[in-house]
Amino acid sequence: MSTGTGSVDLVGDETVENVARTALFAALVGAFAYVSFPNPFSTAPITLQVLGVFLAGIMLGPVWGGASMVLYLLAGALGAPVFSGGSAGVGALLGPTGGYLWSYPIAAAVTGVIVHGGLALDDPRRAGLARLVGGMVAGTAIIYALGIAGLMVVLGMGPVTAFVQGAAAFIPAEAFKIAAAVGIVRSDAVAAE
Amino acid sequence: MLTYEPGDSFAHGLDPRSKLAVQVGFAAAAFAHTTPRALAVLTVLVLALAAAARLSLPATLREFRFAAPFLAGAPLLEGLTLGPPWFSVAEATVPALSSYRVLLILLVSAAYVRTTPVRDSRAAVQRTVPGRAGQFLGVGVALVFRFLPVLQADLRRARDGMRARLGTEQPLSERIRLVATGGLRRALARTDRLALALRARCFAWNPTLPRLALGRRDLPALALAAFLGAAALL
Repeated sequence: MSTGTGSVDLVGDETVENVARTALFAALVGAFAYVSFPNPFSTAPITLQVLGVFLAGIMLGPVWGGASMVLYLLAGALGAPVFSGGSAGVGALLGPTGGYLWSYPIAAAVTGVIVHGGLALDDPRRAGLARLVGGMVAGTAIIYALGIAGLMVVLGMGPVTAFVQGAAAFIPAEAFKIAAAVGIVRSDAVAAE
Repeated sequence: MLTYEPGDSFAHGLDPRSKLAVQVGFAAAAFAHTTPRALAVLTVLVLALAAAARLSLPATLREFRFAAPFLAGAPLLEGLTLGPPWFSVAEATVPALSSYRVLLILLVSAAYVRTTPVRDSRAAVQRTVPGRAGQFLGVGVALVFRFLPVLQADLRRARDGMRARLGTEQPLSERIRLVATGGLRRALARTDRLALALRARCFAWNPTLPRLALGRRDLPALALAAFLGAAALL
């Protein structure tokens, strides 16, 4: 162990709360990757990762929501089994689904900016339905745009085949997650800060 | 599952930073030279790296089965043509080489995950990224590793509870909402307790980290990383 002789530089109370919440949300998105439901539109099951990205933007706001997705990617790259199928490693970020993963911080931040109407954190229950849904639709668009771009760059696919393989079967299922997220935010079960 | 396993292989003894450098160099070289000849050379290198980490290739390949539909689908879909000859090998060549390149990169990253404990990865982050950003990322990574199994168990309980109350008869978005709300509510409760515990233990920006030192063992790894990086630029 190396020992320091400087005085202890304590983390401020508010930042401690934010660090804890950010890390737990990153872990929650990882845990959501293991929860799958049968997809009525395709044989590929629905996992809840993207719902976690939406919730990070809505509940933590754009800044900490984006930061929590950066943590998620970093922990996964360093070996936490948080990516789809319980995979991990730098390879996953450079693999076929890498484009989707890189989009998560951006999608969470954009969802947060739209829902909260800026960088400041507001009570998401006060946001109108249009704002909530609009934020998540924008997040979905970013995730799939970068996901398709990732497939084209990593696997050398054309745009049409990339869309067929990487988005066509999955986009309809996002409506269920958006509906579920609205229900979660509007319910009293989760007391939003 | 692909996780750290204690061991005494050559790769286990390396500094995590040199292993990360090799991964970055390898990926850069593989993306820069996706030709059959370069990929053959990189395949030999992957075999050597797997041996240095005592990585079982068949078991590791099974871990990456999630990527199989994409890796196999890309050349098959790109090669399809609307009309005779129905499948064009020329169209499928680039995606096939790209898929193989991804497979090699996945294997190299698996060698890192298998041989590097969380504490070392965390220390590497905190010593590489300067200032409070590095501290935040290091602490956050450690917390994600710690809480992932806990939150998975929370979600399993939420799902079991939903099943027990005939929640499976509900429409899909309602089922998603029930499970996610259960998981989220428990995670938020844990957040409050974690924040209190962190404050009680004097959570600081300048903690004592495990010692990391680049030693003589790391020289070949760093040289390999530098060579791969240079090869990517040529």
